[in-house]
Amino acid sequence: MTSSRTRKLDADRLPVREINATIRRAAADGEREIRIEHPGARHNLAVAVLRDIRVAIDGPVGYYCGGMSDGVRLEVRGSAGWGLAECLLSGTVVVEGNAGNGAAASIRGGTVVVKGDAAARAGIAMKGGLLVVGGDCGYMTGFMMQRGRIIVCGNAGPALADSMYEGVVYVGGEIAELGNDTVVSDASAAELAEIQAALAHHGVKGPAAFRKVVSGRKLWNYDKKELAAWKAAF
Amino acid sequence: MCGIVGYFDKSGAGRPIGATLLSMLGALGRRGPDSAGVAVWGEAVDGVVVRVALSERADAAALGRELLARARRLGRVSRSAATGPFLRFTMGKVDVDALVAALESDGAEVVSLGTRLEIVKQVGAPQNLDTAFGAAKLAGTHGIGHTRLSTESRVDLSHSQPFWSHGIPDLAVVHNGHITSYHRLRRLYEQDGVRFYTENDSEVIGVYLGRKLREGASLREAMHASVRELDGSFSYLASTADTFGFAKDPFCLKPLLVAESAGAVAIANEEIALHAVLGHGYRAREAGAGEVATWDRGAGARRRRRVA
Repeated sequence: MTSSRTRKLDADRLPVREINATIRRAAADGEREIRIEHPGARHNLAVAVLRDIRVAIDGPVGYYCGGMSDGVRLEVRGSAGWGLAECLLSGTVVVEGNAGNGAAASIRGGTVVVKGDAAARAGIAMKGGLLVVGGDCGYMTGFMMQRGRIIVCGNAGPALADSMYEGVVYVGGEIAELGNDTVVSDASAAELAEIQAALAHHGVKGPAAFRKVVSGRKLWNYDKKELAAWKAAF
Repeated sequence: MCGIVGYFDKSGAGRPIGATLLSMLGALGRRGPDSAGVAVWGEAVDGVVVRVALSERADAAALGRELLARARRLGRVSRSAATGPFLRFTMGKVDVDALVAALESDGAEVVSLGTRLEIVKQVGAPQNLDTAFGAAKLAGTHGIGHTRLSTESRVDLSHSQPFWSHGIPDLAVVHNGHITSYHRLRRLYEQDGVRFYTENDSEVIGVYLGRKLREGASLREAMHASVRELDGSFSYLASTADTFGFAKDPFCLKPLLVAESAGAVAIANEEIALHAVLGHGYRAREAGAGEVATWDRGAGARRRRRVA
């Protein structure tokens, strides 16, 4: 809920540096929320917000929105460009539209929700946290992820979760192609309950059943007997 | 880095495409300020419309008169005008290869040629295109634009984009990325007698597509083949008088956002450029790995998409 006391910031003619400084000042002053109007799809908005503050952005954003943040509750009422919420430590980042390449790359914690489609390399090198994609995800989603969960309600692109170390990817739709050293099975009833709870929490509609993709762990240690798998991975 | 933009009006009616492209390029200017250019497919002429960059060394006015005289020996020249380093003229039916050879024999370079294609480009930021050439007034059904950050080759008019695919009327390309198989392909094509005008790796895309078209492929077929046969990072837009489209490399290494509505298609590396001309209410999506999509003029502007 946006109260009448919510601070509004018209970003139209402001430099990005000033927009971000205003968000950080508001957070430091203990304000609970700030609304950014006319973001104009510009880059680097709401990066490195290190406190619990709700940031609502009224429109599309460019690259790296919300990156390096810790504790932010960010909502984007539009689409987002490359590198959405990269390296997020904690908090939530919700995008109503689509996201470009590398959404939630390298996040360590928190939740990133893309209600539309996420493009290539979503959730690569994730080290924790949760990425929810309401639509489809692109090429090499979850590549080399190390921990955390990815839930994709729609279809997954080629090379899904290639060379993942740990973590889990759930896919509701079709998987175009599994990445190297992955194992696929059906999600258990307990996992499905957890997935549905996460989706419901963010108002995302998903299918009833999900497939579960985890690491085959063959690439964890070099083994001459697994030469073929290594060749394929490289 | 480089910025590329494209706009396709499905209604088929002419619109100020030049102004649209300049607004988009203006929003992407920081992706590369070295040079900028636009290609617009305007109203068809009976014959060809030609734009020539006059040699910087020669007396431009005298060279311009000399080139027009050469053109007149090959066909009927109807309108001609010189703006800065450019000579523009239209002429009736003509042997294109003979015309290009005659015009380029001493340092001049044909920048664009076609029934509808016109390219203006120069060193510097996109904003200068309007002050120098009135590029905002260029009208047409579709167009592509480029703003360049040079990485591998020199900064001059010749190395600027869009590139006309020499010898193929109406075919032009803009590219963001790096074609890593450039040297190999160039060697191969040069053995075949192809002349390269620049040392810009992007030029090879137009040459590649042009060769496919000469072999009888459609632009769409040629673009699909290019995703497999070109190597490197690329998002590129290519268009002829009738077909407009984009291609993206199989590893998704360069950004390209597409917004399609009932009336138009707008494409750019960053949403900021789409926002500049579409305002609100559009939905942008990132093109997929190895994706090619083309739109044909007329017949409801059919769109065909396939991911390689």
